[in-house]
Amino acid sequence: MTRSPFNKTILGGRIGRSFWISTVSISCGLVAWEIAARLWIDPFFLPPVSTVFLGIIELIERGLLFGTIGISLYRILAGFLLGSIVAIPIGLIVGISITARAIFDPYVHFLRFIPALALTSLFLVWFGVGEVAKILQVMYATAFIVIVNTATGVVTTHENKILAAQTLGASPWQIFWLVTIPACIPSIYVGMRLALAGSFMVIVAVEMLAAESGLGYLIWTSKVYFKIDWMFVGIFFLGALGLLADYLWKMFGRFAIRRFVRESADY
Amino acid sequence: MGIQLKDICFSYTPASDDPLVLKNIDLTIDNGEFLILLGPSGCGKSTLLRLIAGFDHATTGSAEVDGSSIDGPGKDRGMVFQDLDSSLFQWLTVRQNVEFGLKVNRIEAGERKERANDALRMVNLTDHDHKFPDALSGGMKQRVQIARMLAMRPNIMLMDEPFAALDAQTRQMLQRQLVSIWSEVKRTAIYVTHDIREAINLGQRIVLMTAGPEAAIKREYAVPLEYPRDQSDQVYIDLLQTISKDIEEEVTKVWS
Ligand SMILES: Nc1ncnc2c1ncn2[C@@H]1O[C@H](COP(=O)(O)OP(=O)(O)OP(=O)(O)O)[C@@H](O)[C@H]1O
Ligand SMILES: [Mg+2]
Repeated sequence: MTRSPFNKTILGGRIGRSFWISTVSISCGLVAWEIAARLWIDPFFLPPVSTVFLGIIELIERGLLFGTIGISLYRILAGFLLGSIVAIPIGLIVGISITARAIFDPYVHFLRFIPALALTSLFLVWFGVGEVAKILQVMYATAFIVIVNTATGVVTTHENKILAAQTLGASPWQIFWLVTIPACIPSIYVGMRLALAGSFMVIVAVEMLAAESGLGYLIWTSKVYFKIDWMFVGIFFLGALGLLADYLWKMFGRFAIRRFVRESADY
Repeated sequence: MGIQLKDICFSYTPASDDPLVLKNIDLTIDNGEFLILLGPSGCGKSTLLRLIAGFDHATTGSAEVDGSSIDGPGKDRGMVFQDLDSSLFQWLTVRQNVEFGLKVNRIEAGERKERANDALRMVNLTDHDHKFPDALSGGMKQRVQIARMLAMRPNIMLMDEPFAALDAQTRQMLQRQLVSIWSEVKRTAIYVTHDIREAINLGQRIVLMTAGPEAAIKREYAVPLEYPRDQSDQVYIDLLQTISKDIEEEVTKVWS
C-alpha cells in the first residue's frame, strides 16, 4: 500500500512496530541457533553464534576481515553499477525501437541464458587474473536482468501517456525523456534490485573459482583448512551485506525517487 | 470552417476482410459547438474521436480541421481519456501535470503559472495542486485531465466518456462544471458518451451512431434548451424519449 505510517523505515524517526518485531525475531533466531548448536548439533557442522563471533574477532585481529569484505563489496558495486549503466540505455533502445530490438534481441536472449559462471574460466583467459575479469562477470550478470526489465518497462508504458503528451505538443525526443523514461523507472528500479542479488551470487562463485581474495575466497579456503567458523563468518557477512544493500536500495527508492517508483519500493 | 469529416471509412485491420468499423461517416462540426457523439457500446465512438485526434487515420475519406487535413495529434486538439489513470503522469504533481504541455512548448514561467492557475481554478483544483495523482479521487483525476487540456487552450476539446467511471453525483457535478468551462472558453467540444441524459445535459447537438460493425450516423438532434438543462422541461422529456427509442432500435439490432 502507498501510505502506511509505519513499515516505512527505521531511519525515518518514526520507529515502527515492524522494526521491533524484526528485532525480536532476529534475537530469537540467534538464541535458538546458539542453544541448538550447543545442545544438539555437532559444532563441526554448525558452530554456535558465539564461536562465529569469536571468528569475526580473530579475522579482525589478523587484519583480514575488512579487506575481505571491502574487495568483495568493491567488485559487486562496480560490476552492478557499470552493468546497469550499460544496460539501461540498451533496454530503453530495445524497448522503443523495433529495429534495435531485432538487432539486439537474439544476442540478449542468447547470452542471458548463459550463466556468468560458465564464463569464469574464459574471462580468466581473456582478461587475466585481475579485477577486470571479475567486475566484468558481475556486469554480465547484472546487465541482462536490467536490460529485460528496462525494455519491459518501456513496452508496458501505457499508450495513453504517449498520446496525451502528443496532444500537448511534445516532440518524440521530449516524450522519450519526459514520459517514457520516468514511466519505466519502476521497472528499472525493480530490475536493479534483482540484479543486486544476482551480483552477490556471481561474485562469490567467481571468488571461489578464480580469486585470491574476497568473501567467496574466505569461504572456500575455510573449507580447505577446516575453519568452519570462518566459513560461517563469510556466509554471515554475505547475508548481512545483502540485507544492508537491499535495505539501502529500498530507502533510496522510498525517499530519493519516491515520486517515480511509488509502490515498487514498498516491499 | 471547423471540423469536416467526409465519407470516412475506417478499419483497424484494413488488409483483412473484416467488416469496417466505421462506414461512410459524413459530419461537420462548427467552431465553438458542443457536440455529443452518442451510440451503443462498441459502435465506434472512440474510434471516430481518435480519428479526429489524429491517433488513427481514416482508411478512406477525409478528415479536416479548418481546411487542413488531420495527420497526427496536434496541440490544437486536446484530449481527455476515459481511463482515470493511464494518461496522467503519476510522477508529477497536479500542477506539474497541468503545466506539462506549457513546459514542452517553452511557454515562459510567468505565463505558464498564470495559465495553469486559470486551468486549475476552472476545474476547482487550486487547493490540490501539490498532490500526486494517486492521492486523488476519480473525479479529481478527470479534472486534472481537463485542466491539463485547458492550459493548452486548444481550439478543439475531445472527451471520451470522461465521467463514465464516476458515481452519479460526481458525474452530475462535473457535467455542470464542464458546461460552465465550455461557456467560458468558447471552444469546440466533442464529447463521447453512451448515456442519453448526459448527452442532453451537455450537448447543443447530439449525433447518434448506428450499432457496429459498419457504424454510420443514424440521426442528429438539436437540443434547443438553455443551460443548465431542466430535466422536467417537456422538450427534455420528449427528446429523451425519442433518443431512447432510436437507441433501443440499434441495440435490439445487435442482439437479435
Ligand atoms: N485497437 C483496436 N484494434 C482492433 N479493433 C478495435 C480496436 N479498438 C476498437 N476496436 C473495435 O472497433 C469497434 C469500435 O470500438 P470503439 O472502442 O470505437 O467503440 P465505442 O463506441 O467507443 O465503445 P464503448 O462505448 O464501449 O467505449 C469495436 O468493435 C472494437 O472491437
Ligand atoms: Mg469508447
